[in-house]
Amino acid sequence: MSEKKLLLKEAPLLEVKNLETAFDIDGTYYNAVDQVSFTVKPRQIVGVVGESGCGKSVMSLSIMQLLPKGVGKVTSGEITFDGLNLEKMSEGQINKIRGKDISMIFQEPMTSLNPVFTIGYQLMEVLFNHLKISKREARQKAIALLKSVGISRPEKIVDEYPHQLSGGMRQRVMIAIAIACQPKLLIADEPTTALDVTVQAQILELLKDIQEVNDMSVILITHDLGVVAEMCDEVMVMYAGRIVERTDVDTLFYNPKHPYTTLLLGAIPKMDDEEERLSSIQGIVPSLTNMPVTGCRFANRCPKAMPECFTITPELRETDPGHEAACLLYETSKPREGVNK
Amino acid sequence: MEIVTQKNPKRNAGPPKKSLSPWAMARRKFAKNKLAMTSLFFLVIVGILSFLAPYITTADVSRINIGQMGLEPSKEHWLGTDKAGRDVFTRLLYGGRISLLVGLSCTFFVIFLGTLIGSIAGYFGGAVDNLLMRFTDLILNFPFLVIVIVINAILFGRVSGLWVLIAVISFLYWGGIARIVRSKILSEKENEYITAAISIGCTPAKVIIKHLLPNVLSTIIVQATITFATMIVIESALSYLGFGVPQETPSWGNMLNSANEPDVLQFKYWIWMPPALMITITILSINFIGEGLKDAFNPKSRR
Repeated sequence: MSEKKLLLKEAPLLEVKNLETAFDIDGTYYNAVDQVSFTVKPRQIVGVVGESGCGKSVMSLSIMQLLPKGVGKVTSGEITFDGLNLEKMSEGQINKIRGKDISMIFQEPMTSLNPVFTIGYQLMEVLFNHLKISKREARQKAIALLKSVGISRPEKIVDEYPHQLSGGMRQRVMIAIAIACQPKLLIADEPTTALDVTVQAQILELLKDIQEVNDMSVILITHDLGVVAEMCDEVMVMYAGRIVERTDVDTLFYNPKHPYTTLLLGAIPKMDDEEERLSSIQGIVPSLTNMPVTGCRFANRCPKAMPECFTITPELRETDPGHEAACLLYETSKPREGVNK
Repeated sequence: MEIVTQKNPKRNAGPPKKSLSPWAMARRKFAKNKLAMTSLFFLVIVGILSFLAPYITTADVSRINIGQMGLEPSKEHWLGTDKAGRDVFTRLLYGGRISLLVGLSCTFFVIFLGTLIGSIAGYFGGAVDNLLMRFTDLILNFPFLVIVIVINAILFGRVSGLWVLIAVISFLYWGGIARIVRSKILSEKENEYITAAISIGCTPAKVIIKHLLPNVLSTIIVQATITFATMIVIESALSYLGFGVPQETPSWGNMLNSANEPDVLQFKYWIWMPPALMITITILSINFIGEGLKDAFNPKSRR
């Protein structure tokens, strides 16, 4: 525990401040990520959870500056990584960081590898991009990397093509590519969603091992709260592009503050429950084009909604030490009057 | 236990099975296609004969021989002689040289330009895409024949005709390829492995050349064969009209030109039939090869 406390005092590795990412829909920009601020400390695993379409992936793509060109762009905010402002970097500068200091694992292992190249080629590519290394050394290193992600017969797999590998193996290869240059930060965008349950557990185990061995920080994006419980130190709950709650993993499960989090946790099916129906949250996430302009974005689905929830936009503030929530229920200084204008 | 140990050496005894790349699989499928292989064989033979023409026949291609005008096929002149007394067989070989050269180099330039512009437009999108594609539209709007005639008139006698012709045809024809490549790149770049490639620090040039082009290369190759056939037709047509390869240089199109005269067309089949047949069969076989390639690259066709 004392070790963990020490860790929390360190300077953050990644600091995101008031990030806003907008998408162009028929000429108007809509914010898919709205006023998101958070930090990731060295060696920390931060989980990001939320429903589909709540801006998790867009947020991670914003950090990597990988947003589709001409469609989405970061409109405001600052992303500071290891003292560098990623937002102000040129394409050439950011290319030197991508894959070396920050790398990413994608959701779909079946399409994340280029079908026309061998596994070894794709592993060696990232090495050649960032390190001065001979072809023979690169091959040796590729085999070692494959071994380190738990692939048996790496000498053989290195010359095989992606279509010859199973989904779990491909995700292992993706992880090997991501950790090839020992990055400081790994962004895993739903790394296990496309895999079956037994393989999921293995991949998570692997990720955790690698995180410990390499002293990496990890941003783990998922909509599986079980994964969060198993892996993360800290959790952010996102809803409709905003962070609604942020705390350490134990507090989130035992003492959730935001009604959305409470409902999410309530929706987890339990083995020993006698309930006939699974509980769910009524309604759906509003689409980008008809997001409520004022008030809490969750208000129309929230069982605890008050009239002012529809007019006052709640801000993320600390309710307990180390626990933040964006909900009017916890606004201590209540500037109800006045803000409304 | 024993069985296992016995089995293992047996398995390792043979040569290690190498994983087949998608290319190797396509190659195998192509090799099984009889029509395409026959066509390829024919094309290779024609190519070799044409390019080795000076070693195969000793007759002079362009010297006019008044004593031997319009002779029928014989032992001395396998395919007879034309109206100027030149050996048709010799001219056929030399003509193949020019026709294939024009076809190949036009195809090369067309594919090169089209791929370059199409992939840049497709990958970067937005303003770059708009600019390049409007330029492409502009080029595609040029009336082909008029441009060729005008340029021919301007440059007549100043520059060697052959390369002018190649340049003009290439410049006017890359638009179609650029559009096809662009649309393929547009769909291909949505794949996650492209995002993955960018995420490991590949520069745009590297992403296009190393990751996108190999995945659209099959389309480009098929398009190249079709373009090759088209180019031979265009060369022949222009030469036949007298705007193509300079008259003194033999090409299949130029040789057909003599069929303009009713006398030749009616009574001297040996003068125009060989080049006509060569054009037809060559184009047919190129098209068969193109079909074969299309089949070979299509993962859904199982033969």
